[in-house]
Amino acid sequence: MKKRARIDVKALPGTAANAADERLQVARPLRAVFNKVFPDHWSFLLGEIALFSFIVLLLTGVFLTLYFDPSMSHVTYNGSYLPLRGVHMTRAYETTLHISFDVRGGLIMRQMHHWAALLFMASIVIHMFRIFFTGAFRKPRELNWVIGVTLFIVGFLAGFTGYSLPDDGLSGTGLRIAHAIMLSIPVIGSWTANSLFSGEFPGPGAILPRAYIAHVLLIPGILLALISVHLGLVFKQKHTQWPGPGRTNTNVVGERMFPRYVIKQGGFFAIVFGVIALMGGLLTINPIWLFGPYEAAAVSAASQPDWYVMFLDGSTRLMPPWEIRAFGHTLPPLFWPTVVLPGVMFTLAMAYPFIEARRNRDTAIHNLLQRPRDVPERTALGAMAVAFYLVLTISGGNDPLAENFDISLNAMTWAGRIGLLIVPPIAYWAAYRICLGLQQHDREVLAHGVETGIIRRLPNGQFVEVHQPLAAPDAHGHTELEYTGWVVPKKMNRVGALAPAIKGFFYPVEEPAPPALPQAERRELESSGTR
Amino acid sequence: MTSDNPGRGAAATPPAGAARRRAGATAAGGRLRRRVGTVLRIAAALALAGGVYAGFAPGSATAAKDPASLSPAGQEGKALFDTNCTSCHGPDAQGVAGKGPSLVGVGAASVEFQVSSGRMPMARQEAQALRKRPVFTYDQTRQLAQYVQELGGGPQIPEGSMKLPGGTPEEQAAAVARGGTLFRINCASCHANAGGGGALSSGKFAPDLEPANDRQIYAAMLTGPQNMPVFGDNQLTPEQKREIIAYVHTLKAQEPGGWGLGKLGPVTEGMAIFLLGMTALIFTTLWIAGKS
Amino acid sequence: MTVVDNPHGSPGLATAEERSRFETIVAGAREDGVEIVHYEPPFPAPGTRGERRLQRIVAGCFLTTGGLATAFLVTYIWWPWEYDRDSLLHNMYTPVLGLTLGLALVATGFGIMIWGKKLIPHEVSIQERHDGPSSDHDRSMATSTLLYMGDEMGLKRRPLLGLSLLAGVAPVGLAAAAPLIGGLIKDPHKPVEGGTGSPLMTTAWGPGIRLTREDGTPIRPEDISTGGQLTVFPGVPEGHTNVHADSPTLLIHLRGQDMAELRDNLTGTNVGATWGDFVAYSKICTHAGCPASLFEQQTNRLLCPCHQSQFLVTDNAKPVFGPATRRLPMLHISVDDEGYFVATSDYKVAIGPGFWERP
Repeated sequence: MKKRARIDVKALPGTAANAADERLQVARPLRAVFNKVFPDHWSFLLGEIALFSFIVLLLTGVFLTLYFDPSMSHVTYNGSYLPLRGVHMTRAYETTLHISFDVRGGLIMRQMHHWAALLFMASIVIHMFRIFFTGAFRKPRELNWVIGVTLFIVGFLAGFTGYSLPDDGLSGTGLRIAHAIMLSIPVIGSWTANSLFSGEFPGPGAILPRAYIAHVLLIPGILLALISVHLGLVFKQKHTQWPGPGRTNTNVVGERMFPRYVIKQGGFFAIVFGVIALMGGLLTINPIWLFGPYEAAAVSAASQPDWYVMFLDGSTRLMPPWEIRAFGHTLPPLFWPTVVLPGVMFTLAMAYPFIEARRNRDTAIHNLLQRPRDVPERTALGAMAVAFYLVLTISGGNDPLAENFDISLNAMTWAGRIGLLIVPPIAYWAAYRICLGLQQHDREVLAHGVETGIIRRLPNGQFVEVHQPLAAPDAHGHTELEYTGWVVPKKMNRVGALAPAIKGFFYPVEEPAPPALPQAERRELESSGTR
Repeated sequence: MTSDNPGRGAAATPPAGAARRRAGATAAGGRLRRRVGTVLRIAAALALAGGVYAGFAPGSATAAKDPASLSPAGQEGKALFDTNCTSCHGPDAQGVAGKGPSLVGVGAASVEFQVSSGRMPMARQEAQALRKRPVFTYDQTRQLAQYVQELGGGPQIPEGSMKLPGGTPEEQAAAVARGGTLFRINCASCHANAGGGGALSSGKFAPDLEPANDRQIYAAMLTGPQNMPVFGDNQLTPEQKREIIAYVHTLKAQEPGGWGLGKLGPVTEGMAIFLLGMTALIFTTLWIAGKS
Repeated sequence: MTVVDNPHGSPGLATAEERSRFETIVAGAREDGVEIVHYEPPFPAPGTRGERRLQRIVAGCFLTTGGLATAFLVTYIWWPWEYDRDSLLHNMYTPVLGLTLGLALVATGFGIMIWGKKLIPHEVSIQERHDGPSSDHDRSMATSTLLYMGDEMGLKRRPLLGLSLLAGVAPVGLAAAAPLIGGLIKDPHKPVEGGTGSPLMTTAWGPGIRLTREDGTPIRPEDISTGGQLTVFPGVPEGHTNVHADSPTLLIHLRGQDMAELRDNLTGTNVGATWGDFVAYSKICTHAGCPASLFEQQTNRLLCPCHQSQFLVTDNAKPVFGPATRRLPMLHISVDDEGYFVATSDYKVAIGPGFWERP
């Protein structure tokens, strides 16, 4: 018995762990990773959506490369989609049709890939809003903010090259506009465009293979590298957290990475993947077979780019016809909304952390988030930027909107032009006022307690509303509390006798600061947190 | 009846003033059923409707200038015209300045398109006549069309089915593919690749092709209603028109990729990713992070 | 500081063995700067009704996943997947795949999530941050090491080395970059084979070249009805393909009085470009190059669907709305002896979007 070498299955994990540690000394670093603490709040999960859709993009993308050929050589379609039989097209378009109709499960893969791309960009933007409005970009995280903005730009390029690859009617129209945008750059424009397309548009078949290698190798490589650094920095610098009991600028309060945090992440990945699969199966996206092959003379009404490019399309539509012609040279109007504007927008976005720090002469390290209402100026600026972006994006889709809601197209354009100038300031003002109003209400509740809705009649006939104070009165009978930068209870039942009306779902994980705690005890808890 | 367009084929310009300002205004007639197949059935229906109508028609038919020159169907049409259309298009369809154009020479195809799609009679003067429930029955529409045809000639829709003449499945498929190529270069710029229509300048628009039936699509190509360019039979032969109609049918067909989101392209796709995808996932994050 | 503050008593763990294992965990965490301040298994006593119920839900989720994943596989393999437009069954192939795969994944996600949320002990841990600069000690050590490295290399003492290295490396860098960029560069103004003049300024049109349809057939004036329009291509080899993406042209047959209006308005190089009631404009928008082809035959406007520039056909295709700044170039046309449309010259001005070198 003893002589026969038997593998003890139960001891196998132990043996393997032992072997690994003997060679790599991983026990301590691994334990440190297991024990790493992550704070928990719904808004901290938005970036994960982008990460997970990126993984889905890689998976589905690899599938698509097995069948796709970016060649622009001409073929006659002979696949199973009858309405295009016998039509001349490029190999790129033919193989895309092939994936859609002649590869088992090819269509769902294509649709999942496209939906995942839209979701990737959407979650990047939403994640960015969260970071901006809570001040998570402040020192020491400026670099990660810059990487995040870069990720949006690179993701934008990934999306645009992908949109161009199938060489259907929309792709070609998009490429033609991209070509015109390159042409519009002063001095080097025609050289740039001609070099990238290797000739006059669409060139001798160079642009799609070039876009392809960018789309499947260069851009994903850059994205992967940037995402790794992005996550590495989050890991190194530790996640920000909301203020609250026991939470200070020098600690992280939450759950250890294993097992709960990682399990939640795993479950969330499955759900994101599932939502993409559901959309990929149930909702048609980019039905290229309806668009036909790209022909320079053909175009479809309502030719739009994907949503994350739509702001550029919008800015182009709203641009007044101003062209500069002098000394035998032309500066086309296309240059301003498609080259200068995005340049300014992205530069401003990247520079914002430094601008704000300089303005506030702020050199401190910030690990606690701010509620948007507590920084009205930043919130208002953000609202202004969002409004600007929204007006542009809506204008990018103004023709389907005009058609479906019976509005004049010219009126839509004018509304966009005027809206671009007046909506952002209105958004600024409104957001500022709302922030101040919310602040004031918080202070009011802290000072006087929660409105109970109970009206009392005094002996003199006067009616007063009873307020439930949040804290026991101190020696002087005052119940005023300090604002701690976190949610102030606004409903009686949160501190009253009744259980919360809604359980769990819409609530932040952590209970709000228990304001009923006497000051002394609170101080003790905080100091114990910092140790 | 043929699909030929008398007065169009040889002359570069049609009779001056005859077909001008065709678009925003034409006249009467309605059609409800889509599948009235054969000439025989149409003739029978006409005869029946004519007979029934004769009993109730106001005596205005006799007031026509030369009622004898009109066919029986034309006389019925004139009766309808006189009661429903003269306020804008004038007596004998001569037109009323500022209200409606003359219909002399616009042809039966134009009348049938405008009336059967409910665009005429117009509810009010606006940028563009809108499709609505037709006021007249199919038979009445044909009578009105006949009347206008007899007034001044003009393009007519050929009788019979608008379907492809037949042939092997391969030939049919090739015809549909040819129709697709023609559609993309001639029609898609306004009606969009998926046939959903699109906006034009200042509140005008190219309509969705979904509710249009074969005869209406044919008539629209032939006559160029409102701001639509005319695609006469020398430009798109009747056969090519049938191919385009066959291709439009494939656009209306069930798609393999799930719900089409109105086939409006990236705009609805962008809305879907936020309203469905993002919203669902944000609710999920709320649930994940919620206290259990 | 206490390890645990929950109402169920010390860690809420049932046996002494569990408690001692937990002590190890706590000690380990503490070494990593993590303090577990609250730890509470949701079901301290094993086998309660609530726990069993949750177990059943999670198991149900996973079994649902199994079922749906199997359904996905069955669909994938046996469903009629080959394209058949008229078959509802085929058209449901992709939706069914999406439904089964999507729901399977969502069910997994829910199962894992409920497991993680409800069955794993709740905890609150606090980890110290160590922000800010490194310690002065580390900083000074690192700085000295760095500076000493410089001294070891002796760059200060031997400046020639540094300079020559720089002088040597810069060309190498440029040499590496040159083929990467240089291979791409292509002169936009070099005439194409058989052509004359910059390709940006010229098209395939020229004197005597017929206007043809997309199938290559020539066009007679009577082919286009009044109020009609036709996209025409140069009658040269591959004239209708994307090889000549700058050449598509829109031939419009105007009404008599509209043509008279246009004739009155003709300016500059456009004079004499029309023939009869026909006028031909470049289809390539002068704004961003989309085909500006939405012809409104009543208002005589041409609309570009990409950015909604509008051009007035009866006034040399002057831009009247939207971002376009320049007229659509007009092609000079005539009719040859056989009665077909021909161009009498190339476009007199560059077609399509503007660029720097454009006068």
